[in-house]
Amino acid sequence: MSETKDISTMTIKDVPNKDYFLWGHGACPGCGVAIAVKNIMKLLGPETIVYVPASCLVVFGAQYPTSAFEVPYLYTAFENTAAVATGIRSAMKRRGKKAYVVGLAGDGGTFDIGLQALSGAADRNEDIIYVCLDNEAYMNTGIQMSGATPFGAWTTTSPAGKMISGKRRHKKDIDHIVAAHGIPYQATLSIAHWNDFVRKVEKAKQVDGFRFLHVLTPCVPGWRSQASKSMEIARLAVETGMWTLYEAEKGESSLTYKPKKMEPVIEYLKLQGRFAFMNEEDVNTLQRWLCHKWWLHYKDEVEAPPCYIYRAEKPLHMDGDPLHGA
Amino acid sequence: MYEVRFHGRGGQGAVMAAQTLAEAAVLEGYHAQAFPYFGAERRGAPVKAFARIDKSRITLKSQIYNPDMLVLLDETLPEIEPVAEGLKPEGVAVVNTAMAPEEYDLGISVVTTTVDATTIAFEKLKAPIVNTAILGAMAKAQDFVSLDSIVKAIQDKFGERLGPRAANLNSDAARVAYQSARTGRCKAVRPILQKPQWLPDWDQMPIGVTLPITQVEGVVIGPGSAWQNLVGTWRTSSPNYDINKCIRCLRCWWSCPEGTIKRQEDDHMKFDYRYCKGCGICAQICPVSAIDMVWGVKSW
Repeated sequence: MSETKDISTMTIKDVPNKDYFLWGHGACPGCGVAIAVKNIMKLLGPETIVYVPASCLVVFGAQYPTSAFEVPYLYTAFENTAAVATGIRSAMKRRGKKAYVVGLAGDGGTFDIGLQALSGAADRNEDIIYVCLDNEAYMNTGIQMSGATPFGAWTTTSPAGKMISGKRRHKKDIDHIVAAHGIPYQATLSIAHWNDFVRKVEKAKQVDGFRFLHVLTPCVPGWRSQASKSMEIARLAVETGMWTLYEAEKGESSLTYKPKKMEPVIEYLKLQGRFAFMNEEDVNTLQRWLCHKWWLHYKDEVEAPPCYIYRAEKPLHMDGDPLHGA
Repeated sequence: MYEVRFHGRGGQGAVMAAQTLAEAAVLEGYHAQAFPYFGAERRGAPVKAFARIDKSRITLKSQIYNPDMLVLLDETLPEIEPVAEGLKPEGVAVVNTAMAPEEYDLGISVVTTTVDATTIAFEKLKAPIVNTAILGAMAKAQDFVSLDSIVKAIQDKFGERLGPRAANLNSDAARVAYQSARTGRCKAVRPILQKPQWLPDWDQMPIGVTLPITQVEGVVIGPGSAWQNLVGTWRTSSPNYDINKCIRCLRCWWSCPEGTIKRQEDDHMKFDYRYCKGCGICAQICPVSAIDMVWGVKSW
């Protein structure tokens, strides 16, 4: 669409100054979604059409008849992000117009409710950019558990009780589900790793076909964290292994950022009130699961984590401890 | 029927205050109801809550448009919301402010009780949750729900949810507020804010194209029109930027959720305080501490 740039050397300095997601929106102070969307819209530019399903973003981003998006914007139902984006793409093709068609869905609208439309569009290799803004629960409706909620996290539907507390299953690996469709480009992004973020969005712009970007976006009320700590939490997610930065082009996956060493997960957990009810056993279970995941991703290239024994190639068991795994 | 309308900001406890007042009225032998109203905005945004008290059973379920009592949990709300709208001339107001009633400008001159609930809340609860202090002042502003009933309702409601220690601290806040509340008649200098409201009917909407940016009855609608929403009034602390310390790394510019930090030609920053919600991410992310968070709604 535009002239080919050398993406690998792009940094935060190359981000355009002009905003297309404007100030005056109603997000909570410190909102991770707002940071991600603001920067994605800067990078995509004016030739963009946005679709947003039911989510926080539709509520704070556009209150009828006003809108924070300075580009065409559409909203219908929860489950059809990829389907509606497909329709917009077809209409644009029919009219002979060029634009990036981008769907900005939440984790509920991607992992759970929107999965069938996502799978269909990925299978057809529709020429759209699908962005999953992952805040790890249904935050808009008041913090209900989703497939993206990590092990041990409190939500209103995975409450902290006497017998068990928080979610009992690990986070669904949506990136592998999407990868199974063999799409041209997919990547995981973190708002706290800005240069990596810029390169991935720029790369997604240059690829044709279905593109899937998965962004971790801390949520201040839902994660029970301080507004000023959103970036710190996003950074620690990568350093502790709760989030891994990689991309996959036509099935070839490669890590784009390697932490120097693995931080203990407790550093990440203690900044967030949603993990306050976790007991020591649960923290250890999560830590072992992360060590296992860490080894699957980084192998021996990054300094050995404290629980290095779990280096088996067996699949990650979603019910808890890899020691008791499948 | 006695009707009370609460205006606060998300997180201050307006909803709990309305529920506690209703419970206190029930303890006095009245019938009561309490319910909140909030729009699409989030934490820090203006919210409303309502309470109705009557001798007989209440069947009315609507919002309260002509309250007998108006309660403001934040003194700056008249600047951004038409809070005094519909208040009965013989009604009363209870305002959280350090000012005396005669100094406070509500936009309508009524008998007003003022209390510095924020200071009391910081002293007693170590947090700006002002609802229990304001309940103490409300006990002084009317004469059918006593302070004792309000304290009992606080003990029940907060004790059940947060434990006996929190209940005692909140009861203390109510008692202190009752003692320090002052009553007088407020000023009516400022006009009551008129908020333009326009929602197009289906036949006014263009078909098959995106709604272009349009101005209708003084309101800008369509793409990008959110700028009319001056969310900077939400903040409690403000970032102070020291241009001499800045190393132009652009991190604050990237991390601002609001886009209030503007990148200049030379990569220095400029802050647009009209939209800053005071989250403090910029101060946290700055590697050279060129940004400080200062308490209060300030701009430089």
